[in-house]
Amino acid sequence: MGRIALEGIRKSFGTVDVIHGIDLEIGEGELVVFVGPSGCGKSTLLRLIAGLDQPTSGKIEIDGVDVTRKGAADRGLAMVFQSYALYPHMTVRQNLSFGLENARMPKAEIDQRVEEAARMLDIGELLTRRPTQLSGGQRQRVAIGRAIVRNPTAFLLDEPLSNLDAELRGTMRAELAALHARLATTMIYVTHDQIEAMTLADRIVVLRKGRIEQVDTPLNLYNRPQNLFVAGFIGAPNMNFFVTEAKSGRAALPGGAEVVLDHAGPVTIGIRPQHLRLAQDSERAIAAKVHLVEALGAETVVHASAEGAGSILTVLEGQPLIERGAEIRLAFDDENIHAFDADGQRIG
Amino acid sequence: MARFGETVGRVATLPLVLIARAFDPVLRLWQRGTGTGGMVAFFLLPNMAIFGVFVIIPLVLNFVYSLTGGTNILLGDRSFIGFGQYGRLLECGNYLQPLTCREDQFWTAVRNTSLFVLFQVSLMVCVSMITALILNRNIAGRGFFRAVFFFPVLLSPVVVGLIWRWILQRQGLMNLIVTNLGFDPVVWLNDRFFAFAAAIGVSTWAHMGFYTLILLAGLQAIPKDLYEAAEMDATPPARVFWRITLPLLGPNLAVVLVLALIRGVQIFDEAYVLTGGGPGTSTLFLTQYIYEVGFASFLRNPGLAAAASILMGLVLVVLTLIQLGLSRRAERGNTR
Ligand SMILES: Nc1ncnc2c1ncn2[C@@H]1O[C@H](COP(=O)(O)OP(=O)(O)OP(=O)(O)O)[C@@H](O)[C@H]1O
Ligand SMILES: [Mg+2]
Repeated sequence: MGRIALEGIRKSFGTVDVIHGIDLEIGEGELVVFVGPSGCGKSTLLRLIAGLDQPTSGKIEIDGVDVTRKGAADRGLAMVFQSYALYPHMTVRQNLSFGLENARMPKAEIDQRVEEAARMLDIGELLTRRPTQLSGGQRQRVAIGRAIVRNPTAFLLDEPLSNLDAELRGTMRAELAALHARLATTMIYVTHDQIEAMTLADRIVVLRKGRIEQVDTPLNLYNRPQNLFVAGFIGAPNMNFFVTEAKSGRAALPGGAEVVLDHAGPVTIGIRPQHLRLAQDSERAIAAKVHLVEALGAETVVHASAEGAGSILTVLEGQPLIERGAEIRLAFDDENIHAFDADGQRIG
Repeated sequence: MARFGETVGRVATLPLVLIARAFDPVLRLWQRGTGTGGMVAFFLLPNMAIFGVFVIIPLVLNFVYSLTGGTNILLGDRSFIGFGQYGRLLECGNYLQPLTCREDQFWTAVRNTSLFVLFQVSLMVCVSMITALILNRNIAGRGFFRAVFFFPVLLSPVVVGLIWRWILQRQGLMNLIVTNLGFDPVVWLNDRFFAFAAAIGVSTWAHMGFYTLILLAGLQAIPKDLYEAAEMDATPPARVFWRITLPLLGPNLAVVLVLALIRGVQIFDEAYVLTGGGPGTSTLFLTQYIYEVGFASFLRNPGLAAAASILMGLVLVVLTLIQLGLSRRAERGNTR
């Protein structure tokens, strides 16, 4: 239960094409996260799956059944809205039981499910309150509770934590992960927070301008980004890019360092800030001049610039003594190099 | 371009600026005398003066008149008789049968007005609710229809009454349709039932745009995502209406109800032009009764009319207090 398949999904609002052909298979019990820059179509795609919007073309299947032309009510999915969308005139209990009453479930069973969800989410005390009498985090729980009681085939969550403060977001993230482990129900989770995506997801779908850039596990996305966009989008701070030319199996980086590359023509070499370190004497290295040092305690972020390469970000462990204006040499290992061709596609 | 606009603006506001300049010394003097607090009074004064002259003083005068007797219109020529006029109005064998009352016309008017309010307000709330619900949907030409329903509100009640009298008269539009359909023409406004129904229908048509607007504003204030949540919850449409739309529209609906009640009790101009109270006294309403007793009938009795209007005023005060309370609650509801 909870297999969702998208086939050639397109969506236009009037003359504006928002989603340009999405194919995606989501497995039973999987937690899939949609990430991408603002306006890339994450919410739109989620609403298409929910049935709140109709795709312009393409097919949506849930557990092998074509639901493309079915309304939201007939898809058996539950959604948690960014705004929570709790019914303001109903108590928490009524909010939770509303959907079950629609299904004409016996009162006793409704009560039992509501109690169970309330216990799971620790909102038992709040059942008689109205949404206006709740804090942001409590409303969030109620919104999730409203989805849980219906025992849906899959949960759809649109940036559920974005209205919470950083600390609460951390706790709720952990709770959501625990909840998913416990319910083992398929979840599709929209966010633009990388940490949420990396920590929660079984697989991440990276979207850009209505297209899928890459679908993979969090670590694969980090370790083997398939193109420049994903390489730049995943990981914080952003990956350093060096635009250069590959000739006779080699590409030169600023400061004379060379990397071996089975390619010819223009290439972009990417190295994550965490994968640069201060070089030993004779080691192959990029030469750069420091113009800002941010000491964070556990790590030190060094902003430097190399001739012909613009700025280079380095995250060094601990608290090395580096001063502004110093000349440094940054070494790296071959296995941490990402190379992309002129079209931005990964080489090797 | 911007320069040009500025110049035009400056020239256009010049008269205002000059007037303000002229007032300036006066204001300065006043402020020196009273402090900033006194300025509030200064700016409120013009409006309070108008309110006093046209509302407060007539109200008091009206009450004084209701305590006097005779047919003279000037207060100086009238004799003080205490609450006699009220006694006369309220003297009755059985309030449900106007003919057993001393002022049978008054009680006929009370009965007619009550019936009118009952039916007209119910009709008004239903019709404007349904219209608002339809206009709130994404239908083609929505703006046009909104204008169509609001247009009668802009018409003078007398014009409304005249239009419908022409439509409903013996050789009017309605009878043209009726005869073309093969029926005999009806003299609509000579029929007790039809005349009363016409008064209800016409006044509803004339004012529904206003109430529709209030309800429409309320409907649009309901967040869209609540409806989407309800859709995800597989809520049947009827239940969406009863459990989500209606409760969230409650404050607006209450305001509409009470406003319609207040205006219903005061019904006069369009009904008077339409039916003149007839046939007989079948569409005689309270305001018309007061007007006729006080000014229009041969044996006019200003004191009696004043007493009747005070009684009607009391009813309106109660309704207005309810309305104020409700709209205050609505306000609190909206700022949640
Ligand atoms: N109803 C609509 N009519 C027209 N354009 C729309 C509509 N809804 C969304 N769009 C457009 O579709 C694009 C994708 O919107 P969407 O809300 O899916 O983005 P998103 O990825 O969720 O962004 P965010 O992270 O900011 O929430 C945007 O360019 C938006 O302007
Ligand atoms: Mg969004």
